[in-house]
Amino acid sequence: METVELQKGTTVSDPLPSPALTGTSQVLVSARGLQKSFHDRPILKNVDFDMHRGDITVIIGKSGSGKSTLLRALAGLTEPDAGEIRIEGQTVFADGARTKEWDTLSGDVGMIFQTYTLWPHMNVLDNLTLAPRKTRGMAASEARDRAEAALDEVGMKHHILSRSTQLSGGERQRVAIARALMMKPKLLLCDEITSALDPPVAAEVLDVLRRLKEEDNIAVALVTHDMAFASKAADRLVFFLNGEIAVNTTPDEAFENCSNAELQKFVDAVRF
Amino acid sequence: MNGYTFDWDVVARALPSMLEGLGLTLQITVITIVLSMVLAIPVAVGRMSKIEVIRWTAQGYIELFRCTPLLVQLFWIFYALPALTGVTLPGYVSALIALTANLTAFMAETYRSGFQSVPVEQVEAGRMLQLNRFQQLRYIIVPQAMRQQLPVILSLNISLFKDTALVSTIAVSDLMFISNTISAQNYRALEIFTLAALIYFAIAFPVSLITSAIERRMQNMAGPGFKPGPGLLARMMPGTKVATA
Repeated sequence: METVELQKGTTVSDPLPSPALTGTSQVLVSARGLQKSFHDRPILKNVDFDMHRGDITVIIGKSGSGKSTLLRALAGLTEPDAGEIRIEGQTVFADGARTKEWDTLSGDVGMIFQTYTLWPHMNVLDNLTLAPRKTRGMAASEARDRAEAALDEVGMKHHILSRSTQLSGGERQRVAIARALMMKPKLLLCDEITSALDPPVAAEVLDVLRRLKEEDNIAVALVTHDMAFASKAADRLVFFLNGEIAVNTTPDEAFENCSNAELQKFVDAVRF
Repeated sequence: MNGYTFDWDVVARALPSMLEGLGLTLQITVITIVLSMVLAIPVAVGRMSKIEVIRWTAQGYIELFRCTPLLVQLFWIFYALPALTGVTLPGYVSALIALTANLTAFMAETYRSGFQSVPVEQVEAGRMLQLNRFQQLRYIIVPQAMRQQLPVILSLNISLFKDTALVSTIAVSDLMFISNTISAQNYRALEIFTLAALIYFAIAFPVSLITSAIERRMQNMAGPGFKPGPGLLARMMPGTKVATA
């Protein structure tokens, strides 16, 4: 397996990617030279990052290393200071601003957050159908059908009329995934979605993601500290260190033949 | 009792006129509440705007009306504004303007606090689902903020209902104005103002009970294991311990 290691401070001027690091999939998202600072503190330093259809990319690293900022930049929730982001080859961010293409392609990007973000004043059905009805003009009956299908996919159909406050943490995250699926995303960004869950519940949520990748060919980027999942399900493993991607490799390489001392230290500290 | 002899006939004779005054009081209260609840939304949104001019204008308005007495605001609009504009407003209109402007300021701060209590991730989740800013406000922020702040909003409305008594100072014939007039005619201040107080209480107390019930219901919804506190009536019972912070 190929391992790409970037030295700290390295600037990649040539936009990779050699078609696909995994060999089979196509690039869905590529980011080049992303930079972001908060109060003069650099959080992202010239980050180059690719995601491929049907791949799960697990992003690990210490708190504050830039993982979540990268996800938020890809999601359009944080504007990088510099760099370029492309989705399906079309530039959606360049020269410090979103482009016109972002308006149409942003619908392909879904995001699930660490905290439970279901709207507590609505039941599960309304949580799922609000956006398709209001933003895409979908009829209520069609939205309900799609909601049932999405909930079925995450094993939550029987909770369609439950209030979100009646659900457990794992159930809420599964409903949050179903809600994101309602918009048919091609890219799903998951920011520490299992960090507040017990290991068996986290495993259920992560199973759902694995199924989505396999059945729907969705690209998933997952920030997690769950090394067990990272080793089993990830197609790529990206290690962030001080705002840079220090290691971008396969889980096997990362866990078995890692030559990066910082990654080794991190893995030893959090694994299993 | 200082040898005072009550004259309940005065009360019986005054009651119809005082209820008429109560009608006007309620009318002013309802119109003011409806206008303020609507107008406070743009003020609250302006108060949170990223555009400094809008934010400072909204904040300036709120502070101006929160930090000056309502009576001064009432007098300024009724007596001072005509000097500035040359247009004299009727007392009823002046009262509505002053009370609405005052309540809007307080209500806007209540809304803002409610808006900001909605977790930012919930709004971002809406944004990720392509909801625009108005839709985020309409479907995610406002409903939750309203529920969260309902007890405060009801308390503000109770205060407003009582504060309408100030409009009697600019000759608006509300409950207080009528009471004052009858009292002056009959020299029966004790009976008349006691009756006025009872009428104000009869309206405000049920709303206060409802506020308390809503507050307890919201606390019950806070999560499993939460032990609801005693109701308002129970808390008023002598010897009831009231938890402090």
